[in-house]
Amino acid sequence: MVDTAYDAVIVGGGPAGLAGAIYTARDRLKTLILERMIAGGQIYNTDRIENYPGIVRIDGPTLIEQMQKQAESFGAQIRQGNDVTGLEKLPDGMVAVVCGRDRYIARAVILAIGSSYRKLGVPGEEEFRRAGTGVSYCGTCDAPFYREREVVSVGGGNTAIEETLHLLKYARKVTLVHRREEFRADKVLAEELRAEGSKPDSKLVIKCDTVVTAIQGDGRVQSVKLRSVKTGTEEDYPCDGVFIFVGMVPNTGFLKGTVQLTEHGFIRVDCAYLRTSMPGVFAAGDCRIGAAMQLATAVADGVNAAITMKQYFRDPAWWHKPVTDEIQPSGW
Amino acid sequence: MAEEKLVNVTDDSFESEVLQSDVPVLVDYWAPWCGPCRMAAPVLEKIAGEYEGRLKVCKVNVDEERQVASKHRIMSIPTMFLFKDGQVVEQIVGVTPNFENDLKRRIDPYVE
Repeated sequence: MVDTAYDAVIVGGGPAGLAGAIYTARDRLKTLILERMIAGGQIYNTDRIENYPGIVRIDGPTLIEQMQKQAESFGAQIRQGNDVTGLEKLPDGMVAVVCGRDRYIARAVILAIGSSYRKLGVPGEEEFRRAGTGVSYCGTCDAPFYREREVVSVGGGNTAIEETLHLLKYARKVTLVHRREEFRADKVLAEELRAEGSKPDSKLVIKCDTVVTAIQGDGRVQSVKLRSVKTGTEEDYPCDGVFIFVGMVPNTGFLKGTVQLTEHGFIRVDCAYLRTSMPGVFAAGDCRIGAAMQLATAVADGVNAAITMKQYFRDPAWWHKPVTDEIQPSGW
Repeated sequence: MAEEKLVNVTDDSFESEVLQSDVPVLVDYWAPWCGPCRMAAPVLEKIAGEYEGRLKVCKVNVDEERQVASKHRIMSIPTMFLFKDGQVVEQIVGVTPNFENDLKRRIDPYVE
């Protein structure tokens, strides 16, 4: 067992955690990032980012590598492959972050634990996912296995459209199934998709107002059952694989019984200073209530938590005070 | 990163490294374009260290070693197969939220 003390322990090495670490480490706070895998989070799987202000276009790994170097250059330590399993408020006001047999003691903690893909929740999904025989949640990972095959992708957000465009580079035919008429994705992406679909000889089929109700096949995916939301008619639609992009759920399972969570598992914060129900513990990025789940907002949250943390260090009683304009961040 | 503990396996060395191994072998099918594969790598390194002598951890680049990948019908990466005495005894697909513990739970019944 190891007990090591830090000013700030940041749980999660995605954009929110790294941005927070850049600020705390620059402020000469002894900073540790605990990352269960490799630094990066969800954005690591994105090969095309074009909505991060100041950077016209970049891929996730390159951006993350820069953020990580930046945090480390100011003295932040990053421990990868460290899965945090619990959180404990100590009698002296410090917080213990539990990592299996190790404990890290912190004056303050930022939970920047991110989110994971949501499942569709239809028959067949889990069975084919487990077997690795035709259900995937990562187009950039698995598209090359579907050269000259037919796939269905599901969803209507940015990820669904980006990944569908990626799948078109490999598959013989891609059918995008979306439950609504309009896409939730940025208009630029939706227009690009529509333009792709209306090309002559397009390999893309777009089915709006349609849901997948089952994934079927003998030993591997061979078809999906589709239902029209408007008419209720059902059809069996042949395909070799299904790619699911229907949003994200927060990675907060291990926090039950520690900080307060919403019914859907997001961490409750005051949304101004990002304070959770446990004094000294902040939450930033995709895992907190009201998260926009964007790269730029995750970064903003990390910075915000790193700055408000200083007020907590000055005055622990501040934790329970309401959000007010008496103390402006610039005055901190 | 610390010393690399994963054994790189090719189409040619699969038989000797994996199928004829005296200890169980965890084989990670990965590719350079796959983000989650890179994210899983430090966990696999850690497991290779913790189980040293009781478990061999190998990796197969599916982009280069196509025979092995196609023989095992890899359609999704990362996929990990656990081999014992030349037979597949466990298959783990994707990076789960509690990846390290999930892997250990699947491995533990097969190692000494």
